[in-house]
Amino acid sequence: MSSNNRVLPKGVTAGDFDKAMQEIRAIVGAEYVLVDEEPLAPYNKIMVPVADAQHAPSAAVMPDGVEQVRKIMKVANTYRVPVYPISTGKNIGYGSAAPVERGQIVLDLRRMNRIIEVDAELCTALVEPGVTYQQLYDYLQEHNLPLWFSCPAPSAIAGPVGNMVDRGVGYTPYGEHFMFSCGMEVVLADGEVLRTGMGAMENSNTWQVFKWGYGPTLDGIFTQSNYGIVTKMGMWLMPAPPDFRPFCIQYPNETDITKIVDALRPLRIAMVIPNAVVIAHTLWEAPCTPVKRSDYVTGQGAISDDAVLKIQADHGIGAWNVYAGLYGTKETNDANWKIIEAVAAATGGKIITEEASRGSQALQYRFDLMKGKPNLGEFGLYNWRGGGGSIWFAPVSQAKGSETLKQMKMAKEILGKYGFDYVGEFIVGWRDMHHVIDLLYDRSDDTQTKNAYACYDELLHTFAKEGYGMYRASTAFAEKVAATYGPVKRDVEKRLKQALDPNNIIAPGRCGISL
Amino acid sequence: MRANRLACLVIGAGAMLGAAGAGAGQWRDGAQVYEKVCAHCHEANVGPVLKGRQLPQVYIERVVRHGNRAMPSFRPSEIDDAALAEVAQLIGASAPLTKE
Ligand SMILES: Cc1cc2nc3c(=O)[nH]c(=O)nc-3n(C[C@H](O)[C@H](O)[C@H](O)COP(=O)(O)OP(=O)(O)OC[C@H]3O[C@@H](n4cnc5c(N)ncnc54)[C@H](O)[C@@H]3O)c2cc1C
Repeated sequence: MSSNNRVLPKGVTAGDFDKAMQEIRAIVGAEYVLVDEEPLAPYNKIMVPVADAQHAPSAAVMPDGVEQVRKIMKVANTYRVPVYPISTGKNIGYGSAAPVERGQIVLDLRRMNRIIEVDAELCTALVEPGVTYQQLYDYLQEHNLPLWFSCPAPSAIAGPVGNMVDRGVGYTPYGEHFMFSCGMEVVLADGEVLRTGMGAMENSNTWQVFKWGYGPTLDGIFTQSNYGIVTKMGMWLMPAPPDFRPFCIQYPNETDITKIVDALRPLRIAMVIPNAVVIAHTLWEAPCTPVKRSDYVTGQGAISDDAVLKIQADHGIGAWNVYAGLYGTKETNDANWKIIEAVAAATGGKIITEEASRGSQALQYRFDLMKGKPNLGEFGLYNWRGGGGSIWFAPVSQAKGSETLKQMKMAKEILGKYGFDYVGEFIVGWRDMHHVIDLLYDRSDDTQTKNAYACYDELLHTFAKEGYGMYRASTAFAEKVAATYGPVKRDVEKRLKQALDPNNIIAPGRCGISL
Repeated sequence: MRANRLACLVIGAGAMLGAAGAGAGQWRDGAQVYEKVCAHCHEANVGPVLKGRQLPQVYIERVVRHGNRAMPSFRPSEIDDAALAEVAQLIGASAPLTKE
């Protein structure tokens, strides 16, 4: 353990680090503390285009409860060792389970996986960070509770707390996950435990039903930040609707995106379509179908438009593929279905119903996600380029057709310059869209890896010049993305950090926040 | 009938771990790990089929812990060593998947 190239937190001596680890072992038990390279391997498997070493942890610690977390914070303060909390640790393409800065100790909360309460009348749940969506799904099934939650695509292995604190999205009417969270328990850097909203009151029974409490609402500052360690989260569940009607509408031309967005926006805002609509490009659908890239592309460089057209024709995939659902009773859905049919007809879209979709792998996983049924179908994306390289480029767009076409063209051009394909989709929040692009590259190829980094960098700065910011970013670009939001916001974030975590021990550098 | 207000209080769940199904948050056995994690890709035409290939247990354990290209790594906090050994053994000894 005393090798010279041992990974240590920045500015911490080996002696202090060892003392800290010794004290932490006494708190959580020696078997739940990892410091050697081999056992730490799962914490350093990343897909983003930077060296593994840049995000290598010095240790991983697996507490089993809030009291242990509090005690660990005391030790971290004493020895000034930074900890990087993760919940389910599946932030794949955003940095996975690896810390934002080399040498941080991963505080792995996955063992804290209690589903503390499900209230079937109020349709709420209170969960710990280690709970996965699959576990929650199984729990609801086993208890015959007709309640749905919204989950992101890698739902079987990811979880509601980790996803919510990174402000992730899903595909049911509750798809904006932070909006549908209600109440958090947070361990602060000094070990103090804060319950947000109504949870601050002792014996309150409204923690999971009223978000705001009294005075400033603090929940937001614990998302995409490093001001505390979330140890419990309330979330709202949706009553399973008596009638659920998912559908896909395919459009033949790339430029159709303008009319799609302009036609769907009013339906989304008025909640005729209540869920987060997805508008997926051919090249998102193709790998999930699955289509093999090598059947259409030879040599280096991005796929040609002609090849994309050929994929559409060969596999019955649209240039754009809209996914949405109706959630209601048979009567309300019958009425709204007529609106959907009329809109599709007026815009030249072809509707694929659930019945007609049977046998299609790409449609099935989407339809499942729209009812919160966990799966991993979207991992098909990784078979497109191969080589295990992925970083999400995810700017926000207005839900206006002209804006989406502009963003799509900008992204496609820059990606093409570096030899990468436009594998993108728009997720319609309400008035916004998350324009999510999977920058897929072969991470075993050094040139592609360097190009992927440079490509993201150019995308980021070109988009920022046009006033487009990221909804979320990977650990590899935390600092650069934060910089695009300007100095005042960063200064306030720093002042908060100073007040809440003066020793800078919780995930310094996360989202660009550090002292 | 279940009480109408079904507040399933599972505080102190440690005591009931292992007793119930997958919702309890602890693996029953390797077969359950396979079903709830591996099969989502490896029997869904996403990752390569694993069954029936006599893959060595140590190889499976290594790939699970280290990940491999698109295959994510899994930490001992997610799949503990005992459950991993079981699932690896089960995969190694399994018969090929039958296609319908
Ligand atoms: C194929 C594919 C598809 C994807 N699709 C989606 C999608 O549809 N929607 C989506 O949102 N994402 C998507 N993702 C990205 C990502 O995998 C998910 O967002 C996933 O839910 C995040 O991982 P997690 O839930 O395990 O969170 P974690 O990895 O546990 O947490 C994420 C980050 O939040 C912070 N954090 C976590 N827990 C705490 C805590 N308790 N206290 C303080 N800070 C904490 C840490 O910085 C951590 O790195 C996709 C990824 C892949 C590979």
